[in-house]
Formats: sequence, structure tokens, C-alpha cells
Amino acid sequence: MKLMMNNGCIKPPQIIILIFLAVLLGLAYFLKMDLAGLFNESLIKLVMNGVLVLSLIPMLNAGAGMNFGLPVGITGGLIGMCIAVNFRLAGWPGFFMSLLLSVAICGILGWIYGLILNRVKGREEIAGTFIGLSLIPLMNYFWTLAPFQNRQMLYPIGGQGLRPKITLEPYFYNILDNFSLVKLGPLEIPLGLLGFYGLICLGLYLFFRTKAGRAAMATGENEAFARLSGIDIAGARLLAIILSTVIAGIGICVYSQSYGFIQLYDAPLAMYFPAISAVLIGGSNGRRAFIFQAALGAYLLQTIYLLTVPIANEILVPEITEILRTLITYSIILYALLYRERQRGSGHEN
Amino acid sequence: MENILEIKELSKAYHGVPALIDIDLSVKAGEIHGIVGANGSGKSTLMNILFGNPIVRETGGYQGEILYRGRRIHPKSCGEAIRLGMGMAHQEFALLPDLTIAENIKLGRERTWKFTDRLFGPKYSFIDRKRNAAGAAQVLHQLGLDVDVGIKVINLATNTKQFVELAREIDRRDLQLLLLDEPTAVLSKRDGLKLIEVLMGMSQAGLGIIFISHRLEEVEHICDRVTVLRDGRVVSRYNKGEISISQLARDMIGHRVNKAIAPARDLNTRPVISFRQFSVDMPGEELKGLDLTVFEGEILGLTSLSGHGKLALGYGLMGLYPAAGEVIYKHQRIDQMDARANIRKGIYVLPDDRQGLGILPEHSLADNIIFTGNQVKNLFAKNMVRPFGFLDQKKADLHVGQLVDELEIKCASIKQKVRELSGGNQQKVCMARALTVDPKLLFVAEPTRGIDISAKEKILKLLIDLNRTKQTTIIIASSELDELKRVCDRIAVLVEGKLFKILAPDSPEVEFGLALAGEQGN
Amino acid sequence: MKINAQDYKFFNIEIVVPIVFLLLSFGAWQFSGLSGAFVLNQVIIRFIRDGILVLSLVIPVVAGMGLNFAVIVGAMCTQAALLFVINYQVAGVAGILLVIFLSIIFSLLAGLAIGYVLNRVKGKEMIVTIIIGFLANSIYQLVFLVGFGTFIPVINEEIILSRGIGVRNAVDLSMYRNTIDKLWLFKIGEIEFPLFMILVVLLFAGMIYYLLNTRFGQEIKAVGSSHEKAEIAGINVDLIRIKALILSTVLAALGQLVFLQNIGMFDVYTAHMNADVISCAALLAGGASIKSAKIRHALIGVFLFHTLFIVSPQAGQNLFHNAALGEYFRSFVAYGTIAFALIVNIKHEDKRLVVSPPL
Repeated sequence: MKLMMNNGCIKPPQIIILIFLAVLLGLAYFLKMDLAGLFNESLIKLVMNGVLVLSLIPMLNAGAGMNFGLPVGITGGLIGMCIAVNFRLAGWPGFFMSLLLSVAICGILGWIYGLILNRVKGREEIAGTFIGLSLIPLMNYFWTLAPFQNRQMLYPIGGQGLRPKITLEPYFYNILDNFSLVKLGPLEIPLGLLGFYGLICLGLYLFFRTKAGRAAMATGENEAFARLSGIDIAGARLLAIILSTVIAGIGICVYSQSYGFIQLYDAPLAMYFPAISAVLIGGSNGRRAFIFQAALGAYLLQTIYLLTVPIANEILVPEITEILRTLITYSIILYALLYRERQRGSGHEN
Repeated sequence: MENILEIKELSKAYHGVPALIDIDLSVKAGEIHGIVGANGSGKSTLMNILFGNPIVRETGGYQGEILYRGRRIHPKSCGEAIRLGMGMAHQEFALLPDLTIAENIKLGRERTWKFTDRLFGPKYSFIDRKRNAAGAAQVLHQLGLDVDVGIKVINLATNTKQFVELAREIDRRDLQLLLLDEPTAVLSKRDGLKLIEVLMGMSQAGLGIIFISHRLEEVEHICDRVTVLRDGRVVSRYNKGEISISQLARDMIGHRVNKAIAPARDLNTRPVISFRQFSVDMPGEELKGLDLTVFEGEILGLTSLSGHGKLALGYGLMGLYPAAGEVIYKHQRIDQMDARANIRKGIYVLPDDRQGLGILPEHSLADNIIFTGNQVKNLFAKNMVRPFGFLDQKKADLHVGQLVDELEIKCASIKQKVRELSGGNQQKVCMARALTVDPKLLFVAEPTRGIDISAKEKILKLLIDLNRTKQTTIIIASSELDELKRVCDRIAVLVEGKLFKILAPDSPEVEFGLALAGEQGN
Repeated sequence: MKINAQDYKFFNIEIVVPIVFLLLSFGAWQFSGLSGAFVLNQVIIRFIRDGILVLSLVIPVVAGMGLNFAVIVGAMCTQAALLFVINYQVAGVAGILLVIFLSIIFSLLAGLAIGYVLNRVKGKEMIVTIIIGFLANSIYQLVFLVGFGTFIPVINEEIILSRGIGVRNAVDLSMYRNTIDKLWLFKIGEIEFPLFMILVVLLFAGMIYYLLNTRFGQEIKAVGSSHEKAEIAGINVDLIRIKALILSTVLAALGQLVFLQNIGMFDVYTAHMNADVISCAALLAGGASIKSAKIRHALIGVFLFHTLFIVSPQAGQNLFHNAALGEYFRSFVAYGTIAFALIVNIKHEDKRLVVSPPL
């Protein structure tokens, strides 16, 4: 962990974000908002979005770039949950069945996605963007035509197929959020949720300690070196891409149980830019990311999101929060892209 | 005759390493001025400065004066040099692959419609493609090449590209000084002669030419003056009539008194690996049908001018570039040039390009040293399911610690990032990785490039120790001839991707010089 | 020396992709039950609306920068110019001229900035233009949804939301509606040919064709073929790339102007959305790739792509009794075409390079 910390987190984007956060906190204090409540919510938001952010790490570290094709993994997770809900599995069985199915489906999707990305080595980001974008309308067909039976999932009379927002209230709504919830005065610490998040972090950490994980890491850092050392480049990348996709599937399950709804159709489109910018805010250089950075970035970004909503409601123009969010998100990604290429450029001159 | 170009006390250093030192050189109108030198003699740096290559300015510019037709110039870009009336035929060709032959030859000087010329000026005037094609075909015809000028350059063979490259320059009316970088290297003798004829005709018409070539015979034949560069300095200059091939060869290599580190031996061993018609398609460094046998326990030096294939041998064997031909290793044919399989068989390659291929810069020293051994030979692995096995950190650290002491790697700790180490220590880390893999046959490319003198000695000594104590067969590909002479049992000289000659390390300099230039000595 | 046969292989993307689009459009048209005249009229209108935008993509592709998704920045420049002019209530011809003038100025500056940024990310231009497009959209929203009525004084109250801050979602352009759309209108049976506007689009096509066949155009092609080689051939690569991007952005701005005046009113916050994806997909449908694009690809592509776009919702309605399925189909075609082009092209590129040479 020490090693990760002194990897220079303080760069212009981090400074801006920290200043922004400080201003927001100050505002929140003056507006006499419930700071303890906000803190409680920030923990939930961290995990809710944090798993999706974690899912970017394997691909980044294997040299497959920022995963702009995150909708692929999200889609897998959504299918998994829909199947579980279709069979009216509630509570823990429902949640675990969702996870299990998600992992299986994402494994297959990730394998296909990985095979495609291996063909477009070096341009994964732009290819991933459009693979994700074209998967969405394809999946819209699925949501519309697949033979789901559970009435609660389907459009009420007059529509065809699944509804865009399926409530999880009777199934596994907040099942992780409320698991081992510890109350300390006004503070509520969702130990179960944090534990689940920690488990995934640990799993990722251990993966990068294994032989396969180290091979993937080396591939990302210096592909030619890895090749000369007898590493199966395509295999190492494929493994990382599958892993990324699987974690993304788990991520959307965690997200949905917190949020309370399964969001279908175009919803996955709104998720990948914030996730990518989160890992960048955490201090990743866009070529390599540590678990710590993903967690820190997710926490910072989500806390900002959390604070901007009530504050902006006090101001006259409510849209400003959404605009500022997107502004931050895209600026950070653009900055990372520019900064990364410049670094690479100067590296070549040596 | 007036001097077109006059260079006075030109010096240039890259990152503190001098590449050119106090060069004086002049070229008269109508003169063909030859420049001869081995690798690293500063030829290409000189060309880069003259032709305004941006890399010169990016690395801190140069000292000294360049006078062009009596005026002091400071070319900052290739475009500026071209506007001054200079032209250059590059060794790697400045041809745009997706443009046709005609488009390439006429680039920047296209003929345009008169009407739109008047309307919008020449830059935004409509191109008359027919006339351009006819013009381009005519120039190529002068060079003795008749080819459809509508073909894209990407589809051409190398020797045709060379003609197109020259045709582009010959076609220019404003040309006053032509820089030619190895223009005949990819041509057959006959094509080369044809080209030389054209060049001599042009120089008689008043064009100044700088002619870089390793074909000493040609240099002797056509140059009015020859300058020999070595280690960034002018070592000698001859006028026409005084030029002798063997003198040029001797000047190129120079004479150094070097004590051999390793005493000479008589090795009477079996072949360990033999290459038959081995070709590697490594861009800019192709091997084209190498026949070479390496004997067990020897240290074989492999040298050539740059671009003649010495680096490609190891990379080809590891499957980094497409390879063809037959390789027999320990009586067995190697069918697939696969890095993993070959490392298992006991072959290992240490690359010349440390930053690009040799290290994981962001990983720790320890990770770098054990990486290949752990991945391929499963060393230091805990007993677990194979691909997901963990590392036995204690065992690995112990091993790394020993190697760090043994190789005297200077580092804060074994967890330090390799990026932070000096070049010499990075090379030692590479050596340590090779030692960990424990190969029977080790390829090392340019082991001492870019590292300081004491580290150089240490690396050379390590290679000899490895050879003497473990009987590891070592092939060193290097352009540092004096180092090869100190450590090798035999030195193979490659020319144009083929084996030209095998020399004993104590052969006289002139023989090496002639062999590198592809001249059969007497 | 017979090596040019390679360009005429059996499986040639340049021919196969348009044919696939032709077959798809034909099939969807059959199921849609729409009359040929209706479809043709619609396609002609789309050709006029979208033609210049698609053409604006050609130059960056030729310059080796791939698909310029930042054309939506050009589109936003025009919309910004329109909103400012409407706000200051400059009516009539003077207003139109001012809009043209301002949109060219805005897009010129935007193109300059984007070109400068793209010179720092050579080889990754496409993903960066996508992000630039999104970022510009955020800034655009900030200016018009928040800036108007706070920092920017409101003169024309009609375009402002009732709360006094921010521009309305839809702004009427009737004060500039003129009849150039109907100029030289020819009718052949049920089919209407607004000849003047078709000629305008073709004029732009001719201009780009002309430009690509000048010395300047040769320089653009050279840069597109290889930066390094172009640099040593004496071309100022960075400058050419900036010029190419400025041209593209200005053309996009003018294209959006034609688009908006044709529609006659505009959705302030959504009119430019998807302009990039649809234009790019149309260009690719015509047989272009991310490495090479010609004028004819743009012109053919607009026709093919928009035919499919017009008929697919109705075909979806008739086939599945669900128009949404047709909608999904057309967004899949738009995104899928680009994804396909990227995957196929990058693979080809890879074959050519084999292994990146060490330094």
C-alpha cells in the first residue's frame, strides 16, 4: 500500500478535484446539511459504483487501455439479474443466483469481446467504444423479444418486452447495503457491503500476484519484453479482458441492489464515462491502475456527485449539477488521454 | 570552383555523449565528396544536421558553422533544407507508401493548370496528373527503369524504391547539393553502376554531391574527395588518385591496442546450433539466407554495419519477426520460432534495445530478474495449480539478493524500480535474468551500448565467466569491434544479411574493415 | 512488375459494404410498405441536410486522422452563432450573413484548438475526438442553459425559459426561413428535386475534390500516408493536420447551417447530437474506410444510409408490430457500421506492420 501511495497521486486533476470537494463540503456545511447522513450515503455510493471502477483495472494493467466497452460487462450482469428475477428468486438466493449467472454470462461475453479486442491491438479504446455502443441496440432486441414470464418485469398492457426499470423491491433490494449494518450514533457503517467490496479488491490483488496475473501485468507494461520472455500475449490479454468483463457484471449487480432497480435499454450508456474518470481521478495515468487508486477515485467522484445534488437544488438552476458532472468527467478523461500520449512520446526519445 | 557547402568546427552531442567533434568539411560545385565510416562514426548525425532533421534541435542543437553558398544557415526542418536547394536520398527512403510513384516523385512540385495558377496561386492550383505522370516516367527512364508510375510505392520492391527515391531528387531543377545515404546498398552491381553513371553526369553539370557508402570500391571509383569519419572525428581525407581501398578500411576501423580478456583457446567441439539459409524479416535489419554454425562452448562475435542483419538472428529465433530457413539445435530441427519453447530448450536472447525490449521499467529489480525464469521454467513457484500459482517470495528474494551481490548491481533495495537504475545497472539486471534462466545458448545484442566504462568491463567479464564456468555458448552481436576482439573465439562478419567471412579475433584491422565493407581482401 | 492486382481482390470492402447496405435497404423497404416516391423524396431531403456534414469528414480521413467525431463541435458552433444572432435580434439577410460569418469564425477557432490537441495524440485521434465532442457538448450546455440570463444579457425574451435563465429547448427559425429550399424546385411525377440545394451540396463536394487535387491536397495525402516520411519529405506535418481539421470543422458548421435552415426550427440541446455518428456511418456505408475516403463514398453513403434509416422503423412496425424494433435496428446499423469498419481496418493495419520494430 505504501508503494501505491507514493506513486504521486497529486497531479493537476487531483488538485482541482480536491479543491472542488473542499468547496462543496464548505457549502454543505454553510447550508446546514446533514453531514453524517451524507457520509453514510457516500460509503454506499462508493461500493455501488466502486466495483464497476475496479473492473477497469485488469484491462488497464494488461495494456488493453481504458475499457470504453464497459457496457459489454454491464449487459452480462443485467441478463444474469433478469434471469434470477424471472424465476422470482428473492433474498440471498436471488442475489447469489444473479452473481453466478452474471459471472457465467460475462465470461462468455468477455471471451468474445477479448477475441475482438486482440485483433485491434493498440486501438482497443475506440473499438471498445463502438462495440459497446452497437451492443446496446442489439440488447434492446433481446429485452424486447426474450420470453421473460414474470409480470412484474414486463411492460404493462400495451407494451412489448421488459420494462426499462424493473424494481427489485420484492427481490434483493438493498440486500448487501443492509447486511451487518453497524450504527454508531448518527453514523451507519454498511460492514457487509464494504466487506463484499474488500473481497473483490482482495481477489484482484491476489490475481496480480499469481503467475498469470504477473504475465498480464508485464504484457501491459512492455509487450515486446513479454513476448521475448515467452509470454502468450494474446492469452494474457484475453484473461484480463474476461476478468474485467466478469467484474463489471458483478459491479452492475451490486449497483442495482443498492439502487433498487434493474435499468435496461440505454441505461448502461450513462455508466462507463463516470467509471473511467473515477479511476483517473484516483491517480491512474491511463496505462496502469492500482486498486487503491480505483477506490480513492470512486470515493472522491461519488462524493462530489452526492454533494452537488442538494447544493444545486438550493441554487436556481438544477441542471447545473448534471452539466458540471459531465464537464468534470470528460475533462478528466481528455486530460488523461493527452497526458498519457505525451508521456509515451517523450519516452520514445530516450 | 566555389564551395557550395562549408562546415566549420561542427560538434554535436546527444545527452552528453559526443556524436560529432570539430568536423570540417567542404563540398564544391561539381564535386562528389565521399564519406566513409563504421557504425557510430557520426555519418547519420552529420546528415541529420545538414538536412534539418528536427531531432537535432530537440536534443539541444549543434555547435559550429554551416555555410551554404557562402551564407550561414541553420536548417530547422527538412522543408527548410529542401527550399535551400538541398536534396537527400535517405537510406530508409522518404517515400509515402500510399502515394503512387508519380505522386512521390513530383511531391511539392506538381505541375498544375495555368488557369487555376493565376486564379488561386500554385499551391491551390489543380494538378495536371497526366503531365506529372509523363514527367515522372521520363525521369525514371533516365535511370533505366520503365515502370507503371501509377503503382503505389507500398507495392514496390526495395530496389525499385531506391530508384524512385533518387528520381525524386534528380527531377528537381533547383537542386544544388545532393546528400546520398547508401544509395547503392540495396542495388545489384549492375544497377549500381547505372546509378553511378547518372550521378557522375549530374555532378559534371555542377551539382555538389555528398556520397555515403560502405562499398569502398565505388567510393574509390567516383569520388573526387573522400573523408573518413571515426568516432565522430575526421580521421583522414584523400583526393582522387590517392584513394586506396585498404587505406580506407584501415582508417575506418582504426588501430587500438587492446589486451584480450580471455586467452585464446583451441575449441574442438561439436556444433550446438547451425543455421541454414536462415532469413529474418526484421525491418531495416534483414537476414537473407544466413549459413552459420556455432560450436559448443565458444563465444562467437557477430558484427556487421548497421542494417546488415546482425541483430535479427536472436529475434528471429525467438519469433519476434517472421523467420524462414532451417535451424538445427542439438541435432534437432527447430520447427517453430517460439520464444517459450526455445527458452525451455535452453536458448535465451538478451536484446539490444533495453528500454524497448529488455526491461519492465515500472517493475522492481527483483521482479525483472525472476520474471522469465518464473514464467517459463516455473522457478520460485509455490506448489499450486499451475497458471494461478503464487510466487515463493522468500526463495526469490534470496536468489535476487545473491545475484545483486555477485553482479555488483547498485541499487537502494531489490524492490527499487528498474526505471530508476543507470543503464549499466539495467544491463546487469538483464544479465541476472539470463543467469536465472540458465541457458545453454545465449544471444546477447549490443551488451555494452550506452553504459559507462566500468560497467562495460564488468559485463564483458560476466559473459566470459558464464562461458568458462558453465560452458554456456554465447553469441554476441555487436558493432563494438574492439570489444568483440577481446572476448570472442571467432568473429563472424555479416554483409547484406549473409555471412561474409569468419575471422580470428587477432586478425589485422584492415581485414575487418574490408570484410565489413564487403570487399574480398587479398 | 505486376503488383497492382491487390487492389482488386474479390472481397473488397469498398464494394461489399455499399452492396450490403443496398440489399438491407431494399429488403427493409419491401417490408416497410412505403411508396418508392415517398422514400426517394425523404432521401433527397436527407441528402441535402446531411450531405455537407458527411463531406466534412473526408479531409481528416485523407490526412490520416481517422473519423473526426468532433464534427459535432462544428455543428455546435453554428448553433451558438444562431442563438447569439437571434438573441440580438438581427433579422433578415443581415442576420443570415452574420450567422454565417460567426459560425465560420467560431468553427475556425474550434478547429484550430482541436487540431492543436490532436497533434499531441497522433494515432489516437478518434477516441480523443469523441471525448472532445462530449466535452464541448457540456460546455455548450453550460453556456446556453446556465450562462444565458446570468452572464450573458438576454435581449430576446422569447428564446428564454420562463425562469429567466437558460435558452428554451426549441427555438423557431422562421425569422430566417427563406425559400432557398424550394429554389429551382423540379417535379418529376411525385418526386421533388430541389435542384438549387442539390447543387449546393455538389458544389461543396466539388470544392473538396478540387482541394484534394492541388499541391495542398497532395500534402494532406502525404501526411495521411506516413507522418515520419512526410516530415522528411519536407512537409510541415503538424500544420497540415491543423489545416485539415479546421477545414473539417468549418465545413461541418456550414453543413449544420444547411441542416437547420432546412428543418426550420431547432432543438437547442439535441439538434447536434448523433450528427457525428450518423455522418460517420454514412461515409463508411459508401465504402470509405478509416484510412481512405473519397468524395464518391460520401455521396453514395448518404443515399444508402439514409434510405435504410427512413424505412427501418416502418419495416420494424410491419414485421414485429413494434416500431421501436426498427429504431433499435437503425442505431445498431449506425454504431455497428463504425465498429465493423474499425475492427476490419485495424486488423489490416496490423498485418502490414507485423511487429512494431524496436525503436
